[in-house]
Formats: sequence, C-alpha cells, structure tokens
Amino acid sequence: MNRAEYPAPLRSLIAELKRLPGIGSRSAERIALWMVQSPDSHPESLARAIECVKREIQPCERCGFFSEANLCPLCLDTSRDPLLLCIVEQPTDILPLERSGAFRGFYHALGGKISPLDHVGPESLRIPALLQRLREHPPHEVILALGADVEGEATSHYLGDMLREFPLKVTRLAQGLPAGTGLEYADELTLSRALSGRTSLAAHP
Amino acid sequence: MLSQLKVGQFRCFEKFEARFEPGINLIVGPNAHGKTSLLEAACLLLRLQSPRTSRLGEIIRHNERGLLVDGHFKAAHLQFYYSPQRKKLALDSVEQRTASEYLKLGRVVWFSNQDVELVREGADVRRRFIDFVASQIDPSYRKALRDYEKCLRSRNLLLKAPVPRWREIQAFEEPLVTAGEQLIKSRHALITALRPLAQLAHANISGAREKLHLEYLPNAAAPLAEALAAARPEDTRLRMTTAGPHRDDLQLLLGPAPATLGSEGQQRTLVLSLRLSAARLLEAHHAEPPLLLLDDIFGELDLSRRAALLEQLPKNAQQIITTTRREWLPPELQAHVLDLESR
Ligand SMILES: Nc1ncnc2c1ncn2[C@@H]1O[C@H](COP(=O)(O)OP(=O)(O)OP(=O)(O)O)[C@@H](O)[C@H]1O
Ligand SMILES: [Mg+2]
Ligand SMILES: [Zn+2]
Repeated sequence: MNRAEYPAPLRSLIAELKRLPGIGSRSAERIALWMVQSPDSHPESLARAIECVKREIQPCERCGFFSEANLCPLCLDTSRDPLLLCIVEQPTDILPLERSGAFRGFYHALGGKISPLDHVGPESLRIPALLQRLREHPPHEVILALGADVEGEATSHYLGDMLREFPLKVTRLAQGLPAGTGLEYADELTLSRALSGRTSLAAHP
Repeated sequence: MLSQLKVGQFRCFEKFEARFEPGINLIVGPNAHGKTSLLEAACLLLRLQSPRTSRLGEIIRHNERGLLVDGHFKAAHLQFYYSPQRKKLALDSVEQRTASEYLKLGRVVWFSNQDVELVREGADVRRRFIDFVASQIDPSYRKALRDYEKCLRSRNLLLKAPVPRWREIQAFEEPLVTAGEQLIKSRHALITALRPLAQLAHANISGAREKLHLEYLPNAAAPLAEALAAARPEDTRLRMTTAGPHRDDLQLLLGPAPATLGSEGQQRTLVLSLRLSAARLLEAHHAEPPLLLLDDIFGELDLSRRAALLEQLPKNAQQIITTTRREWLPPELQAHVLDLESR
C-alpha cells in the first residue's frame, strides 16, 4: 500500500516555502494549506507582488539602499547636506538612522563588514564605489556608523586608515550602541544620541 | 541557594530531577552513575559553562538533539537549552537575548579530583581557571574574552593568507588590543587578590613550612600594542599571533621551587588552596558565598586534610559533594543525602 501524501503541486509549494528564511516545515505546511483552503488567499496577487519586487527593486547604484530606479529618493533629495556622508554596514541600517531624525546627509551601505572567519574580505564590500564617490563629491565629514562588535570595529579602523589620504574628517558614532549588535537593534533615541555625540576617529588610535 | 535541578538529555540522564538543601548535600553512588554529571549540570545552569569541557555538544546525551538544565536558584527560575543549532536561556520564564542579567544570579567554585592538572598540565588549564573566576568577579570579562578570541582567530586566519594583507590585520589589532588589555588588567587584579587568600588557605590546610606563591606571568611584557608590533616579523614567519594574553600563565611556587617539583600531597594541597581562595574572593566580592561543587575529592586526602578542608570551606556556603563512599566523609557530618545507587 502506498503511504498517503499531499499531491505534487502542494508538495512543491511546501518545498518552496521552506526555503524562505525563518520558515520551517511546520509553518511551510500551514501556509501552503491556507493558500489552498482559504477564500482570502489571493494567490495571484501574492505571486504578482513577489515577481514585481524582484523585477522592480534594485540596489541604488550610489548608496546601496533599495530602489526602483538607478538612484533612490534619498540620493536624489537635494535638501540633504552633501558635505555629510554616513557609512553603514547594511542598507537596512539606513532606515533606523533616518527615523532617528538626527542625520540629514547622504548614506553609503557597504553590504557587510570585514569578517575573515566568514570569508568576507574588503573586496566583497562596496569600497571601490565609496572611494569613487569621495573623489567625485568630496564631503567634509564621513561618519562611520558600523556595528560595535569586533568585525564592525575592525571595519571602522580599516576604513579610517584608508580614508586618511582624503582631506576630510572621519568620525564614528559615540559609544552607546548595544554591544555586539548591529544598528538594526538600536532604538531611535540611542541612535540619535550616538550620532550627536560622534567622535573623531583620530581620538581612538 | 540551589533548591531544585532538573536535567534533560544531559550526559547519561534522559531526565532527572534533584532537590538540594541549604548547607551540605552529598551525592552518593557507584562509578558511572552520573554524580559528576549532576555537578556539571549545576555549574552549567548557573554559569552557562561546563568545568569539564568547552564543547557543550559533548554533554548532550548521545543521539539526542539538545540538552536542558532547569532549576531554582534563590527566588529565580533558570532555564538553559543548548543544541548545536540553538541556544536559549530564560530567567523566570522570560527568554533572554543576552546572558548578562542571567549570569548576575549565582557564582560557582568547582573542586575536582582532577585539579592537580592545574599544577601538572599546560598553561591553558591555568588560564581556564583564571577565566572562570574572573568572569564571576567582573561581568565585562566574559565579553572581553570572547572579543579577544574572535580577533585572535581572525588575525591568525589573515596571517595564513599567501600574501598577508596588513591593512586588514592591523584593523583587527585595534579591537584585539582593547579586549586584550582588559584581560591583562583583570587577570593582574585577580591574581593579586587571590594571592594572600591562597596563602592563608594553604597554611591552614597543610600547616606547611613552605609558603605558597602565585605570580601572574603575562606573555606581553610591554603594552600589548607594542608587543604585538614587535612580534610582527615572528608572526609573519610563523603565520600566527605569538604575543598576547592567549599565552599568559599563572606561576605556582612552593617556597622557592616550582610546584611541579612538589610531592603528590603537596600538589593536592596547593590546588585545594587555589580553589578555596577563589571561593573566599567570590564570597567577599559579592557579599555572599558561591555555590561549592566538590567532585570526589575526599578519596585522595588523608584524614587530617579532609577535616581541614571541610573546616576551611566558607561556613554558610551551600555545598554539593559527590563521593562513591559515604565513609570517606566524617560520620558526624550533617548532610542531605542524594543516593544515586538505586537509580
Ligand atoms: N554525552 C553523553 N551521553 C550519554 N552518556 C554519557 C555522555 N557523557 C558521558 N556519559 C556517561 O555518563 C556516565 C556517568 O558519568 P559521570 O562522570 O557523571 O559518572 P560518575 O558517577 O561521576 O562516575 P565516577 O564515580 O567514576 O566519577 C558515564 O557512564 C559516561 O560514560
Ligand atoms: Mg565522577
Ligand atoms: Zn541611494
């Protein structure tokens, strides 16, 4: 006797869902069954949204934030201060800084941090794009807003060393970010304090 | 005080629950019945660390996925789940994102019949002792140690590249030095504080003529940043970091002579004194004695040393003592007994 199992289309949906981050077998099965059974599941619109996001969203070619065009609205915002550039690890770090309201300059997301143990070297980060930006539109101040863990620290020092040849001030967020976590976890008040109390990198030899 | 301890899929235990009383608790049972494992569980519950191994994976019962320790310490309910994929800790049923609040609760000093390795084995064993005590004195020590080890592994990996990239290596030296300097400072302070306490305990147990002396031997003589810079040619040649607190040692002397030359009995007395000094220091620092876990240490002590040791233990500390034979302890000892024989 064959063991009963779900029909192939349902199984393949479950298999696809299981690949999503944070979704295990149980949740994948529950979502798939809901898709099949619920009158509110609207699979076409979900499918359209998924397709669309992949087609329409790309990293902004200047700052790395999520964008529908080559350049994102942040980079096109002429009311911002072009003399301030804030460097973050991930594009997702930009939103918390924006929400804090304490920063009115431009951003540059590296796409990660130097982490030899995870085989991430400077060559896998958006550093060449950063250097090009600095040459084309030199700011007065570059703010390093990287995580407070050892890789974030090391990346700050790496960039600080590299930026020495540019005629600009390099500062970093004041201490006060939760230790060992990225910006993602910092609340708005902490961020705004960290931004206003930023310190010159030279003061941290 | 630890009133209840439950373990799940922990070494030889599928599931086991023990109750403890204030004062002295004896765990009695034949070999391989899980006496040491229960002590280890108590240590893991309070400190999230095993005194026997740094690889928690090996504590998980064979062919099981993860272990659980769960217990009541003072008024708090502590729970720790560990599997290679996932760690989870909860304080009064509230899951904790970091261990900092959790670790504030209780302190532990571990005595074991294997302790002579502190004298006989390499410096890593003595560093583990120092680290275990230091992180119970200074809450930021644990983070410094982890940061240091991570920077060290990163730097060593970078040094192994066919052509080492010094800008990256130097970038990791910054946090390495910050964490390393903190370790050196804390270790120095710790050993300075332990020294007189260990000497006193030593004199009391042995009545010995020779004086015990502890000396911190930091590997980096100069400030760490300078030592690191000076070692660069060597590091480049050997492709690893040769200077720094990962090579520190604790020197143990009996009178003028290294403790390695001492007799069996002298060495056992010495390590007991070390552990006792840790207990005394933790008691003084936190105004509360640590939980004392004594694993099978009475077998190798003569009668007078057994009595002297019991006498030296902080009076109002809760103690859990394992032994294969009840008669190794003084018959008049008032103790709550947990018998594993019938298990
Ligand atoms: N991960 C594991 N899974 C299953 N069993 C284990 C595991 N680790 C250790 N054991 C077993 O647990 C048993 C109990 O070990 P434990 O060291 O606690 O015994 P003990 O009562 O202290 O013995 P002794 O008196 O010899 O010191 C041993 O038989 C050991 O082989
Ligand atoms: Mg044992
Ligand atoms: Zn942009």
